Formats: sequence, C-alpha cells, structure tokens
Amino acid sequence: MTTIRLRINGNVVADEVPARLSLADFLRERRNLTGTHLGCEHGVCGACTVLVDGEPARSCLMVAVACDDRTVETIEGFAGDPVMAALRRNFHQHHALQCGFCTPAMLITACDLIRRGRAGSEREIREGLAGNICRCTGYTNIVTAITEAAKEIAREVRHGQ
Amino acid sequence: MANDGSGIGASLLRKEDERHLHGRGEFVSDIKLPGMMDVAFVRSPHAHARIRSISVPPEARGRVFTAADLPRIKPIRITVHAAGAKTPAWPPLAIDKARYVGEAIAACIAPSRGEAEDLANSVEVDFEVLDAVVDAPRDMNGSRHLIHEQWGDNLYVERVVEGGDIEAAARAAEITVRREFRMQRQSGAPLEGRAVLAYRDHRLDEVVVYASTQTPHTLRVALGEFLDVEARCIRVVAPDVGGGFGPKARLYPEEIILAALALGLDHPVRWVEDRGEHLLTSAHTRDHHYKVTAYADRQGRILGVDTEIVVDAGAYGLWPQGPYQEAAMAARNLPGPYTIANYRARHYTVATNKTPLGPYRGVGRPGACFAIERMIDEVARAAGRDPVEVRAENMVPSAQMPFTTVGGMRLDNGDYPQSVRLCAELLDLPATRARQRKGEPDGRLVGIGFAAFAEQTAHGAAEFVARGAAVIPGFESCTARILPDGSVVLMVGIQSHGQGLETTLSQIAAHELGIDPAHISVRHGDTESTAFGFGTFASRSMVMSGGAVARASRMLRDKLCRIGAHLLQCDPAQVRCADGAVLGPQGSVAIAEIARVAHLRMDGLPPGVDPLLDATATYEPAIGTGVFSYATHGAVVAVDPETGFIELLDFAVAEDCGTMVNPMIVEGQIRGGVVQGIGTALYEEIPYDETGQPLAGTLADYLLPGAAEMPAIKIAHLHTPAAATEYGMKGMGEGGAVAPPAAIANAVRDALAGIGAEVNETPITPRRVLAALQKAREAAANR
Repeated sequence: MTTIRLRINGNVVADEVPARLSLADFLRERRNLTGTHLGCEHGVCGACTVLVDGEPARSCLMVAVACDDRTVETIEGFAGDPVMAALRRNFHQHHALQCGFCTPAMLITACDLIRRGRAGSEREIREGLAGNICRCTGYTNIVTAITEAAKEIAREVRHGQ
Repeated sequence: MANDGSGIGASLLRKEDERHLHGRGEFVSDIKLPGMMDVAFVRSPHAHARIRSISVPPEARGRVFTAADLPRIKPIRITVHAAGAKTPAWPPLAIDKARYVGEAIAACIAPSRGEAEDLANSVEVDFEVLDAVVDAPRDMNGSRHLIHEQWGDNLYVERVVEGGDIEAAARAAEITVRREFRMQRQSGAPLEGRAVLAYRDHRLDEVVVYASTQTPHTLRVALGEFLDVEARCIRVVAPDVGGGFGPKARLYPEEIILAALALGLDHPVRWVEDRGEHLLTSAHTRDHHYKVTAYADRQGRILGVDTEIVVDAGAYGLWPQGPYQEAAMAARNLPGPYTIANYRARHYTVATNKTPLGPYRGVGRPGACFAIERMIDEVARAAGRDPVEVRAENMVPSAQMPFTTVGGMRLDNGDYPQSVRLCAELLDLPATRARQRKGEPDGRLVGIGFAAFAEQTAHGAAEFVARGAAVIPGFESCTARILPDGSVVLMVGIQSHGQGLETTLSQIAAHELGIDPAHISVRHGDTESTAFGFGTFASRSMVMSGGAVARASRMLRDKLCRIGAHLLQCDPAQVRCADGAVLGPQGSVAIAEIARVAHLRMDGLPPGVDPLLDATATYEPAIGTGVFSYATHGAVVAVDPETGFIELLDFAVAEDCGTMVNPMIVEGQIRGGVVQGIGTALYEEIPYDETGQPLAGTLADYLLPGAAEMPAIKIAHLHTPAAATEYGMKGMGEGGAVAPPAAIANAVRDALAGIGAEVNETPITPRRVLAALQKAREAAANR
C-alpha cells in the first residue's frame, strides 16, 4: 500500500492504494466517480480518458500511485469551464451521443482539442478523435458538435477581449 | 394533438443526454452495493478438450464454484419447433468437455476483480485436448471430430428455400455468372461490454439481477427456467446500456451463474466483462460462406438465382432462438428487393469449436445483401450495362406491391428504383464518374458502388411462427399512467440500449395526449415496473413499443375526455386534448385538474367512471409479416494499388422508413449503422487458427472504425408510410449496417475493373486487395 495525495476536480484527496490499482479503478471504485468508463482496459477505446495535470491520459493504463501530487480532472468536474459548457450544449443540440458510454471521454478529448486550438477543421477534429471510439453515432454528429462548440468559443473569446 | 414541434415528426432533442453529458449515467458497473464481491471466470484455453479434473487450492475453497458446486443450474436448452433441427444442451459451467476457447468452467469471487482473477489463475484444470472443428464447409458432414458426439455430424440444421423453376431459368439464361462470397466472423463490440450484478433482496424474497441486456423480461423467463425459481422471485433490471446491437439480446451463462451465486451467498456479486472476454465470449456474428449462380437475360434481367449458404454457428445455440436464424434469414432475404422468379437456396447451419453465433445489427442480411448485390453488379458487367440501371430494372416496382418475393418476404410498399436514383444523385454520379475517368494524381484508383436492400422490420407473430421460433416476440406493451398532478409515466416492456426511446416514446404520448414531452417520463428495462415485453431487436422498438404507447395513451385520452366533459358540462364528443388541457366548446380544464379529480377528488368524477388514470395496452402491427423499410447505399472509394489501402471518399444513403417520429434520431441510427457496416466491410474480423484459437483478442487486433477514417455520411429520405402500423412508422434500426459491405465491395470492384480484380470477402483488408491484384495480374500473364 502506498499513500497518495492528489487533487481531483479541485478537491484534495488522500488514500492508501495498492501498487497495481489503476487510476480508472481508483476513480470509479474508491472515489465513486463513475463517469470515467472502461471500454477496453488496454488503451485503445479511449472511454477512460481524463485530464492529468491538464493533459488527456488513459486512466486504464495509468496506475493510481503515479498520480501522487498531481491534478486529475474527470467529467464530474469542469464546473464553470466555458469550453466544456459549449461542448455539452452542442453535443445535445447536434445529437452527438446515443448510448452515452463514450461521451464523457469524448467530451474531455474534445475539450483538449479546442483548448489547444486543434479543432479548426473537420480533418483536424477527426484526427484528434482517433483515440476515442464511438460505436453508436458514426462520428458525423460528434464532429459537427465539436466544430460548432469551437466556433462558439472563438466568438466568446473575440467578444470577451 | 400536440402541434408545438414536440410530437410526431419533430426532431426533439433527447431527454437522455443530460445525465450522460455529466457522467451521471448509470451502467451496471457503476452500481456498488455494500459487501459486493467481484467475479472472474476460469475459462477454457482450448477449443475442444475433455475436462479430466478441476483442482482448487485448499485456501481457495468456498470462493471457487464449479458446476458441481452449483447443482441448481440446469443446462441451457432451446425448444426447437423446426423439424430436424438439433439442439445441444449447454451447461453454463462446462462439466466434462469444453467446446470453444473462452467457455466458462468455474466462477471465482473476491473483493476486487484483480483478486478474483488471481484466484482464477490458481485453479488448475486437467484437459485432454481434442482436435478442433474450425472449417464449417469442410467439416459439416463428415468429420472425424464431433462436437456433440451423439449427433453423428456437426450440422445443426439444413434446409432449402425455393420457388419457381431454377432449372428452367438455367436453360433460358443468356448470361450465367458464378461467384463465391465470404463474410468473416466478427464481434458486436458495443463500447460497454456485458455486465451482471446480482443480490438477494430478503424483504421482497427476490433475487435482483442487474444486467447489461436488451431483453430484461425474457432474461427473467430464462433465469426462472434454468434456475427453477418462480418468476415472482426474480427481478431483472437493465439500467443504462452502453450499446447492445444484438449480442445483448441473448441469454448468457454468466447471467445464470451470477444469479445462482447470489441465491446461495449472503452478499452481492458482480461480473464486469473485460474486452478480451467480450471478443472471446459475447456472441460472434456473420461468418457466412456463399456459392451463388445467377441466370440472366442479355439485358441483365435476372431470371434465377441458385445458391448454397453455409453459416459457421459455433459450439452452442444461444437462448432463446438458437443458432438457426442466421442462415435462414440469409436464405429468405437473398432475393432482396428484386422480382427474381426462380430461386433455390440450400442452407446449412454448422457447429464448430468457436464462440456461439448470435444476432448483430442486420442479422443474416448483411451477408445476403453482400451476395446478391455483388451478383447484380457482375450480371450488369456481363451484360455490358451500368449497374445502376440494371439494379433499378430488376427491382419490384411500386405498382406490383404488396409483392411476395421468391424468398417469401411480403414487401409492403415504397419506390425502390427511386432510392437508387436518389442515391446516385447524392454522390453526384456524373461528376464522380468524370473524376474516375480523369484518374487521381497519386495513382489511386477511384470506384463507385451501390447496394440496395429491403429490410423486414417489426415483424409480428406470423413471421416468427413461420420460422418455427422457440419464442414469438410478436407484441410490446405499455402501461400509461397519469399521476395526481397531471404528469405522465410510460412504463414500457421494451428496453433502450441507447437509441433514445425515452425521447421518442414520449413524443408519441405527447401527440396523443396533448401533454408536453417535458412532463412525460419513460420507464423501461425493469421487470418490476413494466408489463412483459420482449425488448429491443429486429428493428421493432419504435413500431411495436410506439404502437403500445399510442394505444395506452388513447385509452387515457378517452378517460380524460369523459371526465373533462363532465367538468365542462358538455358532451364527451365535443372535447379534445391539447396543450395540457381538455378543450370544450366553451372553456377548458387542465389535465392536471382532471388528474386531481381522478385521484384526490373522486366526487368530481362522472357517474360510472372509475378513479385512476392508468391504462395497459399491448400492440402488434396489423400485418405479422413485417413492414419493409428500404434503402440504396452508395460508396466512392480510392484504392491504392501499391498498398491495397482503401479510402472512403464518400458515402450516401437514400432510404425510406415511412413516417419518422424523430428525424434527428432516425439519421443518427442510419449513420451509426452505416459505420458499423463499414467496420464489417473493411476492418472487423475474428480469425481462428487451425487449432481453434481466436486471433483477435484486443482492440489492437480487432479494428473498430474510428473518426479519422470515416466519411461524413449523406442521407436523403423518401416517405412511404406503412399501411399496417401506427402513424405509418417502419422500423429502421438495423438497415444502416446491411448494405455498406456490398456497396463498398462493388466500389472496390469498380475501381479495380481495369485490372480485372475483385474482392469477394469481407473485411476487404489491404492484404486481401493485394492478393486479388496479384491473382488478376497472374491471370492476365497466363492469357
């Protein structure tokens, strides 16, 4: 057992964890943050994507002990985040989800793409989503939703300055 | 009736979205109960092996359960009504023999899944390894190796579907084309795997089973049957289900085993399938072999089709329908939307040492469509004509409908040739042909291909009786309840695996009751709160469950009108429901007020009218043989002759599913289905080696379509309402997945026509493209 302290969605958390416990299992089983989903547990489907120190990470491939003293953001977080708010609005508006299983991670990846300015074209968005599998939608509406959210954010930035 | 943009025909935004957008959906694996233990399975590493002994380390005793430890479990057995069909008994935990890699042998419980897996690894099974049966066409009749010894062969069933005079068609033919086709084995691969959580509720004397299933009510029936427990003591709940697509519409050993464990233990047990287990043990699908001969006149008019279909169905039949429907549906649907008069299909369902085959979006039809649509193109080529024209000319014209195909499908209505023309327009065929002729600067070859189908949907009792099915899923149910404040709850026997029924069913009730969908809740997936229903499969949910909602809502509407008219002191014939009220000639009364009277102030009820606003209805469409949606899909590909790599440049769908309740959701279903069909066409495959080892155990081997390689999919609609259903709806959930393999194969054929190469096997991988090119070049060199 190892003691870790980390910040999850703004709250500082301390826990004793076995060395082999994945970050995903830690979030889901210990912290009850079940919006982080497990689709393959070998780093391909992307459903477990969270932000670690602001960067997307596969929480199924990361062990919890490696997150000591780091910052983790899951879909349950993002309170007040304008990019996530725009994405949620547009995913709803453009029917960019069906079963909802890939959705939290899809939103987190999309949020990262927009923040990094990598959602400027359909091609760029599609390539940016290469690590997130959706089995329901066929992606068209996801791409549309991200495109529109990115435009909204760009407008807000222009008007806000 | 609601006319405010939220009733039938409105692209109402989904009620389901809010929870999922915040990670607050509730999938089985999200549920935690005090004292819950995780389960991991000991599974067979061999495709075919006798089990000599199972040894459990002393320290693991009481935490490892074999068949001997769970004597109440009966073998899974399917009641077959089709003559001559064989049905193996399937012990949920293997007893003396394992028949596919992944077959469950023991269940191990521990506080976490990791520890349960450690426990499973400590169990030693002594196997006597047997030769595996892996080649269905080779081993179906005479094999030294029998999977179910008492049978004498490895054949579940063989049948012939025929009509007209195929010999006469052969004699009259001016064009004869022969081909073999192969659609490889694949997985359904919903993003959420299967999962089961079971516990005993002592207060209610129930075993409660949460399962990621498309069919909670029939799962309860099965658990009762195979555990010998009365149904009143079983509750099944399907909470949020992360995609199903067919594989979750079957009973699995793990569901029985978890329920049996819960019955005997004093704590909840949970099993969450991982991806490796999913690829190994959830129903596999497709795995069809075709030999087809088409006879045509010199114009390409098809006179007859003669075919042999072999389906590799794996080691056991999944309850309730067994292994039989895949080949039977392929045989009956192969004549497609065409007027083909002479037909013979011999079909064989074969047992092999592979994972049992089950339904997956399209069931039988993607293979049948692949075979017939490739043949249409080859006949057109032999006739020297455009496949677009030959396809349209062979289709059943509207004037001849209803038309019963030679395969026995009663095509109800629609304009099939128009879907071909519309699809060609979506792809801007003249411009695309011009691009093709001009050639790509990088040397890639452009091809255009089409494929059409008519899809039987929402079939009722007549169809399933004709199939000899064990269970007849001919109806759905709804209890519609207005609560004392006027808000509405629809309790439906259907289940939603992500397609938005909470939204669309509320639109139907809104349409009938004049109540805003925002005030309507839909409850599904729980045997406790809903009347019996079959669940979601066979493109039936909207037609069947929507029909039940319509009927139950109308029963409530009639009662609202009677009470409302009494309160308004007018005749019930003078009132109607709209805008949340009952409107009379002078004045109106809010439905909330009527609901209050019906529950809290029964002194306001008219004489002879009972309190409560609660109605249960069932629904079966007026025609039990199904209503047929149809579509033509078109693909434009660029094939790199150096690498064999295929890029999809464009994809279009022109379809008709009758009246659309929610066009936004319809288009979402089409696009999702198409991309699954593209997966079948280009990427997804579970190959087996000669010893019966499956070779795709991770998503690095089993390729799912990703955003980067998918095109945006164009859609156009035709609108021919069905005569036999409520509002003219037709089912459409599966169709998207039916035609892409055929359309893409035809496009690849078109691209490679100059070289003389064709690929008649899915997935059309670069390796297969290169092999076809090599073969064509060798043939050319030998000429």
